Amino acid sequence: MDILRMLFVEPWPWWLGGIAIGLLVPLLYYFLNTALGVSTGYGNLVKLFLPRSKLKWLNTDTYAKIFNWRFYFIAGMILGGFLSARVSGGAFLSTEMGLFTQQVRWPFAGYAVWFLTGGILLGFGSRVAGGCTSGHSIHGIANLHPSSILSTIFFLLFGTIGVAFIRALLMGGVS
Amino acid sequence: MNKNLQYLLFGGVFGFVLSRVGASDYNLIFRMFTGEDLKLAYVILTAILTAGVAMAVWKRTGMKGRGGTDVTIRKKPLNVRKNILGGAIFGLGWAISGACPGTVLAQVGEGKLLGLATMLGMILGTFFYALVAERQEK
Repeated sequence: MDILRMLFVEPWPWWLGGIAIGLLVPLLYYFLNTALGVSTGYGNLVKLFLPRSKLKWLNTDTYAKIFNWRFYFIAGMILGGFLSARVSGGAFLSTEMGLFTQQVRWPFAGYAVWFLTGGILLGFGSRVAGGCTSGHSIHGIANLHPSSILSTIFFLLFGTIGVAFIRALLMGGVS
Repeated sequence: MNKNLQYLLFGGVFGFVLSRVGASDYNLIFRMFTGEDLKLAYVILTAILTAGVAMAVWKRTGMKGRGGTDVTIRKKPLNVRKNILGGAIFGLGWAISGACPGTVLAQVGEGKLLGLATMLGMILGTFFYALVAERQEK
């Protein structure tokens, strides 16, 4: 029972999560000849809302089909998060977001705009950089691709700068 | 097994693990960037190391997929200006939302409404990219 508790109720230790995520890279290649990556699939979601868009970028080979593997991969990830929360026993819906909603006293609409803005930067930035934490930082660095190493340095650099500003300006320096 | 089902399964494992290890936890991302709690940094490093060693060993032993099929490693092209600019924009988005494109999906599955706001933002940001790409081509 201890092992079940460890896997399904307690948060995983860093090494277990790291090994499991790392193994997805060779396993995805072995079973499906596919490079691990998430952010490109957001183009599929754009097309879900705008299936008849004439924009050239949305009509490249990558997005010829909305319901290709990237769509199922994304759907699976949402399902995985759902199962994780269900087996460990959390609320079905939550309007909180950790320290941010504890330390910054804004109406909910303000929070929503804030996180929407963060999402816009993530979506736009990952397309400009050509990947995100999974495609660049894990898949790319593991295969020693220079573009991935360069991108990840700037992910981390500006993540650190951003959090330092948020902490100083919005949270009064506390955390 | 049906391929789409396999992708759904792989995605399911990825989302489940991200959630179990705490990668979808705002506070752990925040404290990684302040240096107060480096758990997620260790997770990322272990993942890179595991994937790197596994791929290197596999390359030396012929690298064939299931049923002897060929495996082609996808390489993202180096574009110094775009990698730096996109990396910086992404980093700020990571700081603001406390999530990345993968972990936000786990957050949505966990029922975090503000994670849904981040996810909608990502769709919008990707759409903006499509608009900018259209202008650049003309």
